[in-house]
Amino acid sequence: MGRRSWLPIATSSPFSLANIPFGIISSTTSPVHRPATVVGAHVLDLKVFAERNGFSGLEAIHPHLDVFSAATLNRFAQLGRPLHGKVRTYLQSVLADDTPLPQILRDNHDLRAAAIIPLADITTHLPMEIGDYTDFFAGIHHASAVGSLFRGPANALQPNYKHLPVAYHSRASSVVVSGTPVRRPWGQILLDPTAEPKIPTLAPCRRLDIELELGAFIGKANPLGQPVPVAEAEKAIFGYVLMNDWSARDLQTWEYVPLGPFNAKNFATTISPWVVLPDALEPFATAGIENDVEVLPYLRAENKQYDIRLKVDMKTAKSGEEATTVTETSGKNLLWSFAQMVAHHTIGGCNMRAGDLLGSGTISGTDDRSRGSLLEQNQAGRKTIGLAGGEERKFLADGDTVTITGVCGSEEDGLVGFGECSGQILEAVETPFFR
Amino acid sequence: MAGSWVDIPADSDFSLANIPFGIVSTPNDPSSHAAVAIGTSILDLKVLFTSSASPFLTTQIIPSLAGHEHVFAQPTLNAFAELGRAVHREVRAGIQALIAADTSHPDVLRDNAPLREAALLPQRAVTLHLPMSIGDYTDFYAGYHHAYAVGVMFRGPANALQPNYTHLPVGYHGRASSIVVSGTPVRRPVGQILLDEKPVTAPSRRLDFELELGCFISRANAQGTSVAVDEADKEFIFGYVLLNDWSARDIQAWEYVPLGPFNSKNFASTISPWVVLADALEPFRAAAIPNSTPLQGYLQEPKDKKSVFDIKLEVDLTTPESDTTTVCRTSSRNLLWSFPQMIAHHTLGGCPLRAGDLLGSGTISGPDASERGSLLELSEGGKKDVLLYGMDARTFLKDGDTVTLRGYCADGNGARVGFGECRGRIYGPSSN
Repeated sequence: MGRRSWLPIATSSPFSLANIPFGIISSTTSPVHRPATVVGAHVLDLKVFAERNGFSGLEAIHPHLDVFSAATLNRFAQLGRPLHGKVRTYLQSVLADDTPLPQILRDNHDLRAAAIIPLADITTHLPMEIGDYTDFFAGIHHASAVGSLFRGPANALQPNYKHLPVAYHSRASSVVVSGTPVRRPWGQILLDPTAEPKIPTLAPCRRLDIELELGAFIGKANPLGQPVPVAEAEKAIFGYVLMNDWSARDLQTWEYVPLGPFNAKNFATTISPWVVLPDALEPFATAGIENDVEVLPYLRAENKQYDIRLKVDMKTAKSGEEATTVTETSGKNLLWSFAQMVAHHTIGGCNMRAGDLLGSGTISGTDDRSRGSLLEQNQAGRKTIGLAGGEERKFLADGDTVTITGVCGSEEDGLVGFGECSGQILEAVETPFFR
Repeated sequence: MAGSWVDIPADSDFSLANIPFGIVSTPNDPSSHAAVAIGTSILDLKVLFTSSASPFLTTQIIPSLAGHEHVFAQPTLNAFAELGRAVHREVRAGIQALIAADTSHPDVLRDNAPLREAALLPQRAVTLHLPMSIGDYTDFYAGYHHAYAVGVMFRGPANALQPNYTHLPVGYHGRASSIVVSGTPVRRPVGQILLDEKPVTAPSRRLDFELELGCFISRANAQGTSVAVDEADKEFIFGYVLLNDWSARDIQAWEYVPLGPFNSKNFASTISPWVVLADALEPFRAAAIPNSTPLQGYLQEPKDKKSVFDIKLEVDLTTPESDTTTVCRTSSRNLLWSFPQMIAHHTLGGCPLRAGDLLGSGTISGPDASERGSLLELSEGGKKDVLLYGMDARTFLKDGDTVTLRGYCADGNGARVGFGECRGRIYGPSSN
């Protein structure tokens, strides 16, 4: 039976007392960006909480209280996982209905009034300052499906795929928090990719897609020239978010040989606002997809994943609040763990920094409605996807809102989830260059 | 141009015509802050603009800087860059006026011994740091001769260049965290390499350099908006550095399909420390390599536009035995695309750039055999020895090798605008 709080928490809330994720908020009463956690339908403003002795019962954090005045979680992340764990456990204890510390918050009316804010009165912001964002490709069912569509089943996966966690550097500046609208990008596209010679057209993207991913934030830096061994790599991770790596498939086809996707990706990437700590996900640890290839020693580790129930819902301009679930799958559908990704990313000496973001790559299961991209669902544009209310889609239309959610556990024990990773597509600008 | 009362050797990169900006720490002030390079000296801008001379400077000589003097106390040049080209122009001109031999303001600095001694320091007495905080680094591929030569090696002349190459400036996102300033040692990366058709983990055996020009962005565009090519030229470029995009060719070959180079690049990239402002390179504009492909409107520049620069570039390879060979001499005009075109393409879909973003031109090679900007080309894919002084030879880099990139332009009067050194010494992974 999950622990209850003296704050009301709906049983269906992803923010039970078993969670305690961290984010950055501003409120109707103060525009200052500051750290917070969320419990049920309320946030706990950690800046106010820290300033007003809320952490008096946790000595270990006393030398570091200034991290709760920062505008991002980077400095908190740098404190290391043991301290994050202590802070999380302490907050659970302060918020529990059988709290041994009622004087800290539950019975402290002034602090409660100042520090507990309804979710409706706050805005979430990007939780971290992202120095670099790397996107991996570890969703093997997605990689196989897409490869098969373009090269046939025999050549679906490249020879390197099972030997190393394939990845590319992506664009940090265009990562946005859930709720930020996403403008359909212009680009160079081939109206007919099979025509010769290949002459591109300048147009708004016509094959705008989603990519359901998990994101991991780095907390612990490694110096340049010092790889992180795979056995140590899990400790480098601060926490997890949901990610939508919006993709312009037609832009990608024309540009990506030989140096990889570029404008197809760098117009926007959306993440959920609450960073869920590894401690909160630990009860849901499970094995990921088994690799039938013997990997090199620097990558040898259990493929630890989390059994997160992931869902992608779509609303359209016409459908109003009515959403269609287009994808349901599990976060464990990955060939490589984030620890393996970190070990591979640093094997040559590349330095990670607190706030760096890693994307898992599109997560898909094996059946039709478990596909993390529309490209797979529409079979490279050959099939339509039916939505509730009779509408159909191949790729995204203007006005569509895509919302990714993820949740672990049971209502009885307290759900651990991420909140929403959501974005609405805005129509492309009339011409790309204003004068 | 008249000379300077500061001693500037005739062949110095840092003549009065240059005035590049960098970030230093000094014996008196260990916190990183801004300076400009003049001859073999630096002019400490934090000292200058916190001194009693500062009010005079910002009322009489550089009025657009008034209220913004604090930017030179910052640990990076980002805040200065964001002030805009007009301010950069005025600051540079103001400093030139101050150090000119015939300066109209001799009492501000030249004849002000205490300030002069505090602000004018020998370069060898200071430490240089990364000049900017780099939010994102994008590497392009605009060196036509390099792209063609490498393409021939892997696909033969008929398929050397991909169909997209002349239609859009091909680029990929690089790793920002591993960009280091000249002088930082570079560790040979360990990675997965295909040996006898099986992957093994080993130190790279095909470690290479790439001669590139780097361009720093001066201001942001809002996400969802695009920067037109002429606006990019006028407003969005802060200045230039030399860039060595160290590459591990064997790691690259195994990893890069289909998502592009990754560990083969992200172990290190080196830049020269002094940012040469866009204005300083204006006299050295040149026409880019002609592109016969009809371009989309957003990439078009005026027909006679000199959209690139004729910077004389050199690469020196110094062996552990201290023998130095100049292995490449070429010009930075050998580019198919200009930086304004790269900026227009990069933002076409609404990607937001930020002050401090770094763009790499891509490896610059010329049409001649003496103009090859990488060992991959010099050694013809590792098949041919590159002969060095001291009876030595290389196909790829050895531990202990130092690669030094240099670049400069010179006008008819001998005033040189150069970049200083972009240098790195390779060390093996075992010698941590």
